[in-house]
Amino acid sequence: MFKTPSYIMLVDDEEDFVEMLSLRLKEIDENVIPVYSGEACLEKLKEQDVDVVILDVKMPGMDGIETLQEIKKQFPLLEVIMLTGHGTIEAAVQGMKLGAFDFLFKPADFDDLTAKLNQARQRKQDQMERIKKAEAAMLLRSAKI
Amino acid sequence: MSGDGDRNIIRVLLVDDEEDYRSVLHKRLSGRSISVVEAATGQAALDQLSVAPVDVVVMDVKMPGMDGVQTLKCIKDRYPELEVILLTGHANPQDGVEGIKMGAFDYLSKPIEIEQLVRKIRQADEKIVRARVEKEEAAFRERIKQQMVIAERLAALGTMATGVAHEINNPLAIIQESAGWLQQILGKPELRDIPRKADFEKALNRIGKAVHRARNITRQLLQAVHTQSTDLTEPVEMVAVDLQSLARESISLVEQEAQQKQIAIRLDIVEPLPVVWSEPYPLLQVLINLMTNAIHATGAGGTITLRLEGTDDRARITVLDTGCGISEEHLPRIFEPFFTTKGVGQGTGMGLYVSWGIIQKLGGTISVNSQVNQGSTFTITLPVKE
Ligand SMILES: Nc1ncnc2c1ncn2[C@@H]1O[C@H](COP(=O)(O)OP(=O)(O)OP(=O)(O)O)[C@@H](O)[C@H]1O
Ligand SMILES: [Mg+2]
Repeated sequence: MFKTPSYIMLVDDEEDFVEMLSLRLKEIDENVIPVYSGEACLEKLKEQDVDVVILDVKMPGMDGIETLQEIKKQFPLLEVIMLTGHGTIEAAVQGMKLGAFDFLFKPADFDDLTAKLNQARQRKQDQMERIKKAEAAMLLRSAKI
Repeated sequence: MSGDGDRNIIRVLLVDDEEDYRSVLHKRLSGRSISVVEAATGQAALDQLSVAPVDVVVMDVKMPGMDGVQTLKCIKDRYPELEVILLTGHANPQDGVEGIKMGAFDYLSKPIEIEQLVRKIRQADEKIVRARVEKEEAAFRERIKQQMVIAERLAALGTMATGVAHEINNPLAIIQESAGWLQQILGKPELRDIPRKADFEKALNRIGKAVHRARNITRQLLQAVHTQSTDLTEPVEMVAVDLQSLARESISLVEQEAQQKQIAIRLDIVEPLPVVWSEPYPLLQVLINLMTNAIHATGAGGTITLRLEGTDDRARITVLDTGCGISEEHLPRIFEPFFTTKGVGQGTGMGLYVSWGIIQKLGGTISVNSQVNQGSTFTITLPVKE
C-alpha cells in the first residue's frame, strides 16, 4: 500500500502568523496550505484534500466556530484543531462539542502543536482504515451472493 | 472611649472640691444603674479620665485651681465623645450658659434635685449612644462606598487590561513562531558549522524566554477576567462546600513553604460552621493566594491564622498574619492588576486581583485591614446555604 502525502490547512486572519507557522511546519516536512479566512478555507477544501485543519477561533467574517460547523457538515472525516485565546475558552469548549479534535491556546507551544497534529492525523487515518475495511467487507459479501 | 461591656450601667465621674457633697451625691446616685468615681479637682478629673474611661462627667463649676469651665474645655478637647453636666452655684447661672457654649451637655443649679440629675445623666448617655450608632452607620456606609469605588475601578482596569492582552497575543505568537523557525533552521545539518552560531542560539533563546514570560502575563489576565465575567452561557457551578476541609487542603498546600520560613499556621474554627454555597476550586485558589501572600509578608516566628466562622447570614473566612503590614499609600491599590511590591520574578501582582474577581463572582465580599509592622487581616464573606 502506498502512502498519500498528508496536508495541513492553517486558517487565521493574521497573515504574518500563518506565514511563520507554515514555515516552521514546512521545516519539519509538513505540507501546509495557508488561508486567511473561514470563507477561503471552505473554498479551498473543495479542491484540495486535507487531513487536519488548524483553525483560529477569532476571525472577522465567518468565525472559527461557524467555519468548524460548516467543515463538519461538508467533510465529516476532517480533523480540526482550534486555536483560541484564554479569554475565549468557551469557544474552545463549544468547538469540542461540535466535533473539533482538540484545542490549543495561542500562542501555542510548537511541541504541543505537533503532538496534537500527529494525534489528529492518526485518528483520521484510523477512521479511513476502518471505512476501507468496511467497504471491502461489503464488496466481499456482495461478491459471494 | 467606652462602649464595651454592659451599656445598662452608666459610668459617671463626679468632680467637686467639697468632699461631703461628693459622697452624698455618690451615695444617692449609686444603685440606679449608675456607677460613680470621684475626683476632687479638675486636674484629678483629667488624671482619672486618662486611666479609666467614663460616659458622663458631672462637675462643679466653682473649684479652686482649674475651675469647671477650664476643665470642661480640656475634657472636650481630649474626649470629644464625653458628655459633661455642670453644677453651678445658685447665684451664678451664667456660668452654666458659658459652659453650654463651650460644649457642656447642660447645667443644673445647686442645690441639686437628685431625680433631675439622674434624668440629665440618662439623657446625656442617650445622646452618646445615639452619636455612636450614627458614627458606626456612617463608617459602614463609607466602607460600602469604598468597595463600590474599588469595584468600578477594577472592572474598568480589567476591561482595559484584557483588551491589551488580546491585542498583544497575536504579535506574541508571530514573534514566537519567527524565533522558533530560526531555531529550527539553526538546527539543520547544513548550518552546523556557521560562524557565531552560539550567539544566534543565545539570542533566540532569550527571545523565547521573554515571549514565555509575556505569554504568562496575558494568560493570567485573560483568565482573571474570565473568572469574573458573569456570562450566562456558562452558569456557575455552585455546590455546598465544606469550608473546613477546604481550609485544611489550602493549609496542606502552603505548609511546606511556611515551615521553611518558621511560620506557624493555625486553623481556628468557630462552631457551628455554616455550609457555604459556592464553587470549591476557585475558592481554594483564593485561600492559597491569601495564605501565600501572608507567608511572603511574615518573618520567622510569625503566625498566620485562618479563621472560619458564621455570622448572621454569611460565612466569614479571615486570613490574619503578623507580618510587615501594608502602608496606607499602598492599601487602596493592592487589588489592582499588576500592583506588586515584590521583585521581578517574585510576584506579578495578579494574586489579589484574581482573588477579588473570584469572590465577586461567588457573590461574596473581600476586604482588608492592615497596620504597618503589626500585620494584615483579609476578610472574606460568602453566601451560605439556606
Ligand atoms: N498579607 C499581606 N501582607 C503585606 N502585604 C501584602 C499582603 N498581601 C498582599 N500584600 C501586598 O499586596 C501586593 C499585591 O498582592 P498580590 O497577591 O496581588 O500580588 P503579588 O503577591 O505581589 O504577586 P502574585 O500574587 O501575582 O505572585 C503585594 O505585592 C504586597 O505588597
Ligand atoms: Mg500574591
